[in-house]
Amino acid sequence: MKNSSLTAVDAQFKHNLDLMNFEPLNKFNHLLRLWRVQGYLDLMWMTQDWKLFLTYYASDLFLNIAAVTGVLFLAERFDGIGVWTKPQVTFMLGYAMLVRGIMETLFGYNIFSISRRLGRGQLDHTLVQPHPVWMALLTEGFMPFSGSASIIPGLLLLLWSGTVLALDPTISWLFLALLNVAASATILLSFSFIWGSLAFWAPRATEEISSSASGLLRTLMPFPLDGLSFAMLSGLMTFLPVGFLAWYPARALLGLESDAWSELLTPTVAAIFSIIAVWIFKQGLKAYGRTGSQRYLSFGHRR
Amino acid sequence: MISATLNKHYKTALMEATGHIGDSPLFLLDYMLRILRVIILMSLWQMILANKGSVDGLTLETVLVYTFLAEVFRQQMECRGSGMETAIWDGSIANRFLRPAGVFSQFVAQMFGRWFFEFLFFSIPLLLLSPLFGVSILPSSPVALGLFVMSLALAIAVGLAIELIFGAMVVLTSTVYILYQIRDAVTTLLSGALLPLAFYPWGLGEVFGWLPFASMASAPLRIYTETGDPGHLILLQVIWAAVLWPIAHVLWRINREKLVSHGG
Amino acid sequence: MEEQAHSAISHSDIVVDLSGVCKTFHQKQRSERIRDIFSNLVRPQVRQVDALKDVTLQIHRGEVVAYAGPNGAGKSTTIKILSSLLTPDSGTVRVLGMDPKLERIRYVNRIGVVFGQRTELWWDQPVAATFEWKRVVWNIPRDRFEKSLEFVKEVLGLHDYFNSLARELSLGQRMRADMGLALLHEPEILFLDEPTIGVDVLAKRNMLDFVKELNRTRGVTIVLTSHDMSELEQLAGRMIMVDRGSIAFDGDFATLRRQFTDRRHLYLETDASTAPVLSSAELVRSDGNRHEFTFDAGVIGISEILEQVSAQTQVIDVETHRVSIDDVIADLYKQWNH
Repeated sequence: MKNSSLTAVDAQFKHNLDLMNFEPLNKFNHLLRLWRVQGYLDLMWMTQDWKLFLTYYASDLFLNIAAVTGVLFLAERFDGIGVWTKPQVTFMLGYAMLVRGIMETLFGYNIFSISRRLGRGQLDHTLVQPHPVWMALLTEGFMPFSGSASIIPGLLLLLWSGTVLALDPTISWLFLALLNVAASATILLSFSFIWGSLAFWAPRATEEISSSASGLLRTLMPFPLDGLSFAMLSGLMTFLPVGFLAWYPARALLGLESDAWSELLTPTVAAIFSIIAVWIFKQGLKAYGRTGSQRYLSFGHRR
Repeated sequence: MISATLNKHYKTALMEATGHIGDSPLFLLDYMLRILRVIILMSLWQMILANKGSVDGLTLETVLVYTFLAEVFRQQMECRGSGMETAIWDGSIANRFLRPAGVFSQFVAQMFGRWFFEFLFFSIPLLLLSPLFGVSILPSSPVALGLFVMSLALAIAVGLAIELIFGAMVVLTSTVYILYQIRDAVTTLLSGALLPLAFYPWGLGEVFGWLPFASMASAPLRIYTETGDPGHLILLQVIWAAVLWPIAHVLWRINREKLVSHGG
Repeated sequence: MEEQAHSAISHSDIVVDLSGVCKTFHQKQRSERIRDIFSNLVRPQVRQVDALKDVTLQIHRGEVVAYAGPNGAGKSTTIKILSSLLTPDSGTVRVLGMDPKLERIRYVNRIGVVFGQRTELWWDQPVAATFEWKRVVWNIPRDRFEKSLEFVKEVLGLHDYFNSLARELSLGQRMRADMGLALLHEPEILFLDEPTIGVDVLAKRNMLDFVKELNRTRGVTIVLTSHDMSELEQLAGRMIMVDRGSIAFDGDFATLRRQFTDRRHLYLETDASTAPVLSSAELVRSDGNRHEFTFDAGVIGISEILEQVSAQTQVIDVETHRVSIDDVIADLYKQWNH
């Protein structure tokens, strides 16, 4: 009986391992399953009670609108900002909100604010899961229901400004718009991972620094950057890539850039940033294997 | 007696101050990012207000001084760093009731501790470097400076009352993260720290100017830049402090039981 | 003494094999004085902590191993290395024939880990939702999942609160739910790092019974750390004790008692209120005609003591007790400290 129980267990493991051998198709199926279960958890959380649901949804909506209201006020007060007309500013703000919304929908639970997970020793929970770390990071922050409050107002602003600006989107333009939004979101995420990975070495300080760095990006991303000095603009297009989060891609999509390939610049920068982020994160993972985490806090992870 | 009480809180503040920077010198990076933020904001205003002359009595030079000071005293005007939300969230607020010191004053001490190094490493250097940013921050007169200091102290008093009220709201609504996000968003939008309220359209700035959030930043900044009536602004701050503190006190007392049992 | 569970499966295959494992951490030392703030930041002193020093051990399939030692002895570091979270500085680690760090994904599919101080439950979700999450993440086939789930719900008594939010559970309930969660994918080895910390006696007993049962019926190898020695003695057939990063003892509990001390308590009731004077036994207290002594059974036998007593006074009643394992271990820690 004892031996037969072991055999059954062994067979189970073999079956599991077969399922988890991560051939490309299996990988993709597994990713879908992970997103689905995270979506399920999000729905369960949102529907715990109506008070929570409404509070969360309304406040998220408010927060996202508040994030761009200042610039909208300026555009209204000065009838545009610099060379940007009011509808153009609105288009850019819609774009910025959409990027933020995507980030909140796909990378909640402190995946976007990765420094918190790392600095609080919560990576251990990820490391005991039987799939690659990137797979966990890509799926564990998926909040399609609670995060959507950020996407809808962004889409509405884009729709309204597109109508006023009489944009006539072709399929290729829509594809490029989606590509740019995804690229901007990637840059934002990569930037957060680059700074956040410092938490592998300095757990407490990084939480603050990373939050400041991301906060700086979020504060500045709704502003049009035309008219800044070359040195300033160069900094904002490289080390602190604010320019690629809304301003430059919005210019490119609105046809304000003369360069024919302008719509592809943001995706290219996104590729570079993600390579840097992955490299730094991997270095951090190696360091984590050596030192582990001497600090553990449970907030923001499972709760 | 007073000196013993002060000593307790001084020690708490010191613990917070040194704990905050104890991890590594990397915290200095945070201040570099903050300086970068100031440079960018100043550049943005130069771009937005280029060739605009005076808008509602605000010239580019005035807005630059206004923004510069808002960044120098950002911590004081936002009035954050007490760690209250975390303590309520994880239930460690219960420990504070066990210490022989006022609960709220412990949070205040913690907040001052948190401010200490930022003031030393960020605010003072930034003030000294102001000529490099192209702004002249010297006050027009000693009276103007005195009024600013008084108004800043009142701004902190109003901010602290709001902090306390939000702490109580955490318990009432059982949410922390969302509530403090809202607090930050509302403060940023309505305090006039990021954008002078005078630039708000449809007369909104006028309305927002009467709210308590404006007492946290807009009031001292307008007094310093001489774009508002100091008597009116300080009186409004005093009124808000007088109204909000009792409310905060009552809420805090009502919630005491809940506060201790809340969280982890 | 309760039946020990370790002999349930007598497979000889080695599932855990550590050889010459060393792990060193570096801790920055900081002065508490304000005037040292800058030197703390710029040139902090660094203290080297040898968490593990040349640790070599093997664990066979089906064993229940207690891994104990004083605070900071290296227990958690070992568990972290065994659960793929840390890599050793030197030495080799093979568990289930794999290198935990290099083959992490395959490896964690076959182990279960419970950290008493941390929960894997999603805090704002019903317990059931976390179990569903686990099914997907661990890719457990539905039929196998249902079977495992029924088993853990039944044996751990999760039915009553399976649909409650994790945040509303008591510590004992949470631990049982965490334990059930760790077993859903039917791991071959279970690492339990202080799983009963803060749990009441009844919940603790139920959990220990469950672990024993798991080992007996399913042959799961169990490595368990705890500071509760009687708990470990009840559960484990083998005890490994670490002290300052090195293995100080590896054997069964009876050997542990014999090797370090076989201290016993002697209660004597005599016709006199004055306690007899005994060589090699120490008087603890006297209460009327009742006298309590301690002695080391390895040094002096009970018959010899009774002879000495009879020579001095008349014995009415005699009682002896072994000291608890907690006392043995406390003596041991004290000895190591010196």
